[in-house]
Order: sequence, then structure tokens, then C-alpha cells
Amino acid sequence: MNTFFRKLAWLAHRRDREAELRAELEFHLGEESEERMSGGGSPAEARLEARRELGNVARVAEETRAAWGWTLAEQFAQDLRYAVRNMASNKAFSALAILSLALGIGANTAIFSFMDSILLRSLPVDHPERLVILSSWTKENEVHGMNLHDDSFLPSGTGYGDSVFSYAAFAMFQSNDRLFSDVFGYQGAGDLHFAAGDRADIAKTEYVTGNYFQALGVPPVAGRLITREDDRAGAPAVAVISDALSRLRFGSAENATGKPVSINRRPFTVIGVAPPGFFGADPGIAPDVYIPLHAIETLARAGFAKQSFNDPNTEWVVTMARLRPGVSREQAQEVLAPQFAEWMRTVNTERNRADLPRFVVRDGRAGLNGLRYQYSRPLTILLILVGLILILACANIANLLLARSTARRREIAVRLGIGAGRSRLVRQLLTESVLLASTGGASGILFAIWGINFLTALIGNGQENFTLHAGLNWRVLAATAGLAIATGLLFGVSPALQATRVDLLPALKESRIGGGTARGRGIGSISRGLLVLQMALSLVILVTAGLFVRTLNKLESIQLGFNRENVLTFSLNATQAGHRDAEVYDFYGKLRDRFAGIPGVRGASFSDLRLVGGRMFTGVSVGGDKPRASLVVSVGPDFLSTMQIPLRLGRELGLHDMAPSHPAAMVNQEFVKLRMGGQNPLGQLVSFGSASCAKCSAEIVGVSGNAMVGRDVTDEFRPVVYVPYTMKVWGGLRDMYYELRTVGSPMAVAGAVRELVREADPRLPVSDLQTQSALIDGTINREVIFARLCSGFAVLALVIACVGLYGSMSYNVARRTGEIGIRMALGAPRRSVIRMVLGEVLLLAGLGLAIGLSAALVGSKLVKSFLYQTEPHDPLTMAVAAASLVVAAILAGYLPARSAANIDPMSALRHE
Amino acid sequence: MDGNELLPGTLEMMILKTLSRGPKHGYGIAQHIRGVSEEALKIGEGSLYPALQRIFVNGWVEAEWGVSETNRKVRIYKLTAAGRKRLANERRTFDAMVLAIGKVMEA
Repeated sequence: MNTFFRKLAWLAHRRDREAELRAELEFHLGEESEERMSGGGSPAEARLEARRELGNVARVAEETRAAWGWTLAEQFAQDLRYAVRNMASNKAFSALAILSLALGIGANTAIFSFMDSILLRSLPVDHPERLVILSSWTKENEVHGMNLHDDSFLPSGTGYGDSVFSYAAFAMFQSNDRLFSDVFGYQGAGDLHFAAGDRADIAKTEYVTGNYFQALGVPPVAGRLITREDDRAGAPAVAVISDALSRLRFGSAENATGKPVSINRRPFTVIGVAPPGFFGADPGIAPDVYIPLHAIETLARAGFAKQSFNDPNTEWVVTMARLRPGVSREQAQEVLAPQFAEWMRTVNTERNRADLPRFVVRDGRAGLNGLRYQYSRPLTILLILVGLILILACANIANLLLARSTARRREIAVRLGIGAGRSRLVRQLLTESVLLASTGGASGILFAIWGINFLTALIGNGQENFTLHAGLNWRVLAATAGLAIATGLLFGVSPALQATRVDLLPALKESRIGGGTARGRGIGSISRGLLVLQMALSLVILVTAGLFVRTLNKLESIQLGFNRENVLTFSLNATQAGHRDAEVYDFYGKLRDRFAGIPGVRGASFSDLRLVGGRMFTGVSVGGDKPRASLVVSVGPDFLSTMQIPLRLGRELGLHDMAPSHPAAMVNQEFVKLRMGGQNPLGQLVSFGSASCAKCSAEIVGVSGNAMVGRDVTDEFRPVVYVPYTMKVWGGLRDMYYELRTVGSPMAVAGAVRELVREADPRLPVSDLQTQSALIDGTINREVIFARLCSGFAVLALVIACVGLYGSMSYNVARRTGEIGIRMALGAPRRSVIRMVLGEVLLLAGLGLAIGLSAALVGSKLVKSFLYQTEPHDPLTMAVAAASLVVAAILAGYLPARSAANIDPMSALRHE
Repeated sequence: MDGNELLPGTLEMMILKTLSRGPKHGYGIAQHIRGVSEEALKIGEGSLYPALQRIFVNGWVEAEWGVSETNRKVRIYKLTAAGRKRLANERRTFDAMVLAIGKVMEA
């Protein structure tokens, strides 16, 4: 340790120490020569002798210095200084290199920070690695309550899975206290009416078990969190709110604690506030309000009858657990799987016996992340693309460095000639490239910050409380730093080795200006290889972009079966605002009449599901056959004509059908085809197998064309039954989506809508107000992102590749000035010079094209699942991509070709 | 024989031994070794100063500026306690080695 401090002290006073050493050596020399003089001999001779004996003073000084162990650091500092000087003296080169690297590294950092936040980050809770998700899967898609069907953990096509269990099963898991310190669960309560003081709002709410917060190990920022005592029947109604909501509505977390609020018009007390940065067990949901699981019994929820709470056939609790220290996931699986199977066999009566659910314990450190499922593959693809772009940028810089190292042959030959070691020179050249890369990386972080904001906006697509918080953290920055250094070495090694492999004599004989006659014509093979690689990679990226653009075009031109233009949609939830039973039907109906009267509105209706806004399966039987999953949509009068869905047969549901006395229904063509074998459906009875409407049935009075009811535009046309909204298929009314067909721009009537709603009930918030087109565009958000990002990437790749091509060709032309001059002096016309240079460009582009096309054919299979009605080897896309590449290459090659043609033979020859 | 041809470590040992008789400057150390060895060991300055620096780094000697017999400014080295200990150690190792080498050569 002392030694180390002495070394540090030496370093700090290095100049003094070196001067001292010199003085000491001087003294030595002096003494020695004096002694010789006294022994006879001329002073000059003596001094010479002494000096010979002393050897090289500088060498002694160097070796002495080495004793202090700072040689490496000193050489590094020297290299660094030299590299900075070199960068400064080649401004254009350095700027180009740093810019292309910054773009490459920036794009990588941005995409990686998203991967980090979505795929890698653990929940911000205590010991997330001990969390597990309990889940089960079946081969057939069965609905028993509120399954989520997040089948991300299953190999695709093997079945349907989720982490939702009945409360009885949940209690059974809880009894395994040797495996788990806690078994906890939650269920989304949806967007509830949340009022504090005189302000009403919509708040995303979640039912949580009493041990939820304790099991996650999350401390409150104010007040206390929900405990087991709060989660039992008859306990006082309490709520925990998010930090964000507490600031928004109460100013601060402390202020919120103890405040009375109403949730869906029922009194609750805010007992505490969850910490900022806590988003619940699913980072993709981020609830505003947490209430005990048992509150589900008082907050009537459509489709959830009171007796469902303990019914072993109703699955509704999303279940997670915390393993005891020392217990592994495999152990838990081993114990629980047979136990669960046995329990299913004895308790469950509704299940298909041949397909009883299989039990799986999954890793839960990142929570149940819907976002992960949605974005993991797309992000992987994007990461591959930006990785390719980085390789392109590296190839560019390697090429520029190669060109420059050829220009520096003389300098390097001189250095080698006066005795510099090769490894020392390579180290110095590598320092230069790593410095370039690090500067590029640092500027890349700026690009990344911009890119992250851009991507967040793009992915969030205007969602109000978008919970994906990508950002720079040490992990992302470490990755960037690693990337920068790795790229520096990657593009630096080959030019450095090449540059120092110099045949000294010819290189030294080269004239300063004339350049390399020594290594003949053309650019080196490494350089050619890099250019071909760049062309090939650009083509791959172009093809990918082309495929996504084609997909987007296809998606945008899908026939949805209704007219999406000029429709305004929004949602109202009168039940939450306090309207009850019979009155609420009246309220919804009267509001529709008022909306229809707004000037500029041609038609108005409403439905409990929006077209292309989601789907909900219900068992439906026709003429008493076995119930099968169909989509049931509750609609107001004139739904078909408002949405402009064609009527194929019979009539549509009008105002008089809304009276519950004689229930009527419409079905779509798909329903007729699939469920009734194409027979005339009019007059047939459909009945619904939901718990609250066991005996409801309705007569089919009309058949509509197929219109897209589903998650997104690529969903298929499924059997749909439209029923009057007054029919209690779901036990009661939930929120309603209104649809207004307008004459002009839909948003123009938004003000009038809000005004009318305020008049009807000031405590009723209007939510989700948007045009039907915007809603549909939201469902193809991912494809829009892909198409835009990849087009951007393709342009970037093409620019980088063309800059490389242009740079190399210009350099090549400059080197061949003499040769071209001779050709022209011998009578070669300008045209043939241009042809010669462009010929080389086209040869490179052609080679790149051939390699790129085969790579694209193989690689595009990776993105197959993201394409819609577009083959991975779509010939049009390939052709357009290839053509763009060739055009870009010709453009990049034309300037150098023209400057070659403009060479004046006389001055070029004098030059030699 | 020059310092470079010695067994590794022996030059340092001889420097320490020289200094154990009292503080000396670099030139004095070289003179002493040459004199005592009767001109057999001529320590070149090229090996002397790097060796001195190594010893100094390890804290076996201290150095301060003083005035030489010829009245010139010079750095004078002095053995520290650690240096004395080191010398004893080196000495033991060296003696053992010489003994061993001797046995091998006479066998």
C-alpha cells in the first residue's frame, strides 16, 4: 500500500522527479570524467568515455521511470494526446465518423433502454427474485369467469393459459405455507367513477388481497397500506391510492390520507398512498386506486354475482406468490402440480374432464407483464435492425480508417524506421479508433435521449397514463459504453494491423503527395469486402422496411364491414355515476335522442362494445343446441344504420325493440354460416348461457353483413349476436360507447357532446372521446411504429452506406489521378472514365445485392409473424429495395466519377 | 562484469549492503562496489539507477539532497529499517543459494 502511495506521489511530482534524476546522472557523468582527467587524458576524451559508459542517458531515464510502473499509463496519455491532435487535424473525417457512430450507437441505446424497461427490469419491490406467478393452461379455450389468456408463457399453438384462479383455489394455494411466505392476488376493477370533494373522474382501480402490499414488500409513503384486516366481508371500506393520484387530487400524499372519497358512488376512506414508481404487479396496468378484494361484493360488478366469490368454477383471482427463502420454483412446482390436479378433479364440476388445466409455476420477478408479451418480439427485431446499422457504421469507419492509414503509410514507415515497436504502433492506432468510438458513443447518448422520447410518444400513441418508463440507467449506459469500446476495437483492429504491415523501403521512397504507386490500382480487398457488406446489409434493412410498409398498407385497406370515417365515439358510465336499474336504460336512450339532435350529427347509437375496440365471448346456443362462444353486443336503436353496416336480411333493431317485453336479436352472416349451416335464421331463438341470464332468449329478426368486432383490424369475422341494450345478458348495464355519425369532422361536435352530458348529469365524466378512425389506427399502432421506424432505419442505412461508398470512391479516384491522366492523355474520352468508375461502383453494388438478397430471403422469415397478407419474399418489395439500392449507389458513385472525368491530363502527368 | 550480467537481485543486495555502512550517493555506491570487488564488478550507471529507483519505490532507502565531497549538489541515499530487514533476508537467501550451487558444482 505504501508502495502504491509512493508511486502516486511520484506521479504527482513527475516533472520534478525527472529533473532530479537528470541532475543525478549529470553529477555521475561529471564525477566520472573528472576522475578520468585526473588519471590522464584530455577532457573531451574523458567525457566521451564517460558518456559511452553511461550509455544512452534517455534510456537510463526511461528504465528508471519504468521502476515506478507508470509506463503504460504514460504511453496511454501520449497516445490519447496524439489521437486528439489527429482528430482535430482531420475535422471532416472525424465529424463524419463520429456522426455515423453517434447515430448507430444512439439508435442501439434507445432500443436497448426499451428492452431494459420492458423485458429486463424487475418489479420495484423487495426481493423480486422470490416472486412467482401461479398459472394453468388447457388445450381448448374455455371461459370460466375472467380468464386473461395471456398465453405468452406457452409455446404458440399449444394451448390457452392464464394466471387466474377461483378464490377457492387461491385459498388452497395459501395453505402451502411451507413453500410460500405469501400467496397474494388481484383483479382489475376497471375504470371506476372516483369522486373526491365535488370533482368526479375515472380512476383505474384494482382489487387486491389483504396481503398484497405486505407480500410485495412495498412501504407506504403516507398512511398505511391494505392489510388482511381490511380484506374481509363487512370490514370498513378503505382504499389506497397511487402517489400520482394523491398529488393530482389532494396536493400531496399526506393530504390524501384519511380523506373520504366515493368509488362508484360508494363511500371509501383513503388510508394511505403507495410509493411513487410502484405500478402494481403488472407494470403495464398501473392502477390509480387499490381496494380490498372483498370490496368486489359491494361494488357490484357486471358479470360477477355475489355467489361467484367462493364458487370454485368462477376463476377471477390473478395469483402470485412469494417463495420462502431456500425454496426453489421447481420445488413449488413439484408439490403444487399434483395437489392442484387432485383439487381440480374433486372440486370442479364444470370443466371438460379430458382437458383439466395443467399447473405451472412461472418466474414472477418482472410481474405479470402484458407489455412484455406485446413488445418482446418486436423489440428484438428492432434491436437486430439497429445492430445491423451499427455494423454498417463500423464498416464505414473501418473503411475511412483504412483509406487514411494508406495515406499515413509514410508516417508509419518513418516511425517503424526509427525503431517504434509494431505492437506499440497498433496500440496507438487503436487508441485513436477507440477515442473516435467513445466520442461517437457520448454523442450517441444525446441521440438516444431524443430517440427514447420519440419512441415513447410513438408507442404510447397518445395514451393518457402510459406506464412504460424507458430511460437511461446504469445498465443502459454500461451497455452503451461497452458498445462504444467494442466498436472502436472492431473497426480499428484490421486497419491498424494493415497499416503497420508496411514494407519500409518502398513506403519511405514514396513521394509525399503522389501517394501509393506501390500498391497498384484500386482499393484494397478488405475495403471492397466492407463496401459489399454494407450494400448487402442496407438491402436487408431496406427489404425489412419495405415488408412493414406493405403490411401497413394492407392493414389500412382492410374491409372492416362498416364506414369508419366521420364517426365520433366516447364512453359514458351512468351506473357508476349513480343511475340505477330501469332509470339507466331511459337515461341512455334519452341521451342518444339528444345527441342525434346536435346539428351536424346524422345518426346516433350506442353499444357496450366498440367495433374494433375489444371483444368478449359469451356462450350462445341456437334453438337449444350446445352453447358455443360467440360475441354478444348490446346495442341501442339504429346501430347498423349509424355504423353503416349493411343489412342482409330482415330488419334492424329499432326503437320499439328496446322494450324488454318481446326480445329480438340480429346476427351477422358469419353466425348464420357457422352456427346455422346457412339456413334461414329469421324467427329462430338464440339463448345466452351467462349466470345472470340463464333463461334469456331472443328471436332473430335480422341478419347484418360482417363487421369487425374484435381486438384489432386483423381479427377475423366471428359469429356476432346483436341484442337490445335493455336485455340483461350481463346482469346489468356497464359503460356504454356512443357512436355519432357526423356530416363533417367528428371532433367538431365534441364540445356539444360534453355540454349535453353536463346538462344531463354534471357528475358524469365523458371518457375515451375519439374518432372511430383514431381508435382503429390505435389497434395497428405496432405496425405503424414498425413501418415508420424501419423506413427511418432504411434511409439511415442507405445514407451511411452511400457515404462510405462515396468516400471510398473519391479516395480511390484521387489516388488514381496519375493513371487516369495517362488514360486521358492517350485518348480515353471522359465518358469512358465515368463508365470505368461507375462500373466499379455497380460491380460492388451488384455483389452486395446478390448477397443481400439471399440474406434477406432467409432473414425475412424472422419477421413473418409481423406481416399481414405479405409474403416474406414479396417480389415487389425485393425489387423496389434492390432498385433503390442501385440508384443510391449510382448517385454516390457519380460525384467521384465526374471528378475523375474532370482530371486535367496535363497537370495529372506533371504531378508524377 | 556489468550489473546486467549479475544474478537477478544481487545488484540490489549489494547496493543495500553498501548503504548499510552509511549514506552514499549513486556515484559513491558504484565506486565502492568497484573498489571492494577489486575492479571485478563495474556497475554501469545504466543498471545502477534503475536498481536504485526500484529499491526506493519499495521504501528500502530514503533519499535527500546533499553536497558531495567535490562540493556538488547530489542525492544521497540512506538505508531504512525496512531496508535493513530486506538486506538480512536477501543475505540469507543468497548464502543458501551459493551453498547449494557450490554443492552442485563440486559433486
